[in-house]
Amino acid sequence: MQISRIASPLKLLTIALKVGRVTKKYPFGPPLLTESFRGAISIDPAKCWGCGACTLVCPPNALTMRLEGEKIVLEYFKGRCIFCGMCADTCPANAITVTKEFELAATSVEDLKEDVIHKMSKCAICGKPFVATAEIRDVMKMQPITEEYANICPECRKKRAVKAFGMRFGAST
Amino acid sequence: MKLEERLRGVRRSPWVYHLNSGSCNACDIEILDALTPFFDAERFGVKLVASPRHADVVLFTGPVTREALPKVVKTLKAVPRPRIVVAIGSCAVGGGIWWNTYSTIGGFEKFQGVLKQQGVEIDKVVYVPGCPARPEAIIYGLLLALGYVKQKVSKVVKVVES
Repeated sequence: MQISRIASPLKLLTIALKVGRVTKKYPFGPPLLTESFRGAISIDPAKCWGCGACTLVCPPNALTMRLEGEKIVLEYFKGRCIFCGMCADTCPANAITVTKEFELAATSVEDLKEDVIHKMSKCAICGKPFVATAEIRDVMKMQPITEEYANICPECRKKRAVKAFGMRFGAST
Repeated sequence: MKLEERLRGVRRSPWVYHLNSGSCNACDIEILDALTPFFDAERFGVKLVASPRHADVVLFTGPVTREALPKVVKTLKAVPRPRIVVAIGSCAVGGGIWWNTYSTIGGFEKFQGVLKQQGVEIDKVVYVPGCPARPEAIIYGLLLALGYVKQKVSKVVKVVES
């Protein structure tokens, strides 16, 4: 009885000595980050087209796109993001990268928002803004179509095609 | 008294109460993880208590379901002032996956409107995003609420030049 009372703490002590110290010194030391950890995403404004592909795949709508006059605003709300990384997989321009940032705590929700503001380019015929300038610029690089076509909004392009089609079959317009 | 003066009393040993408002339990497990000897939130005097009346800080998880709403209001009413809330996880911050479903309120920010109607004042809120938030992120958020560390994120506006 007496021996076991002394021996059991000793047994614990030997185990504790073998294991050593396991506590992470986190705020004063480095965090425990693995290779596969996914944190907040970062959007590179130099590469982003403003196409909105990421907003379509985002499960919780953390990435949203809205029109503000003649500007397209891509908004990233870290507070709603589930850090799945689907946007980074989908991005056609590889503008989105997954970082290892996790110290995102904030005292207000506004601090967790990130805006990427795109200029819109205007239609050459009707003058209506229809798509981000960066998208035209980068698509032209990949698929060289005539600039005449690229600067026209889909509606005007449709009208033009109908007109051309009609002229071909001798309709008077 | 100002909030900072009141916080000074809490800082040394914040007792936390874990409030689940209908979360999926992932964040709850991470909270328990933060309290284990591996991450050891007890280094900062953090102790988990069983009653909201004993709590200094409320660790809040979940998107506030309609079912849990009256109980959550009642619980927060029972917390003594200053009421400090650490909203943990994407659901508690912005609604997460459930941001527009019919059966949830959609995060703590929208829930504060309900609290205002009920006359419950919250002195300080810290939002900790993550799905689920890592134990380190929870410790960081808790320390931010108590004023040990500084906030790293702020609103970013990037303009595309073309």
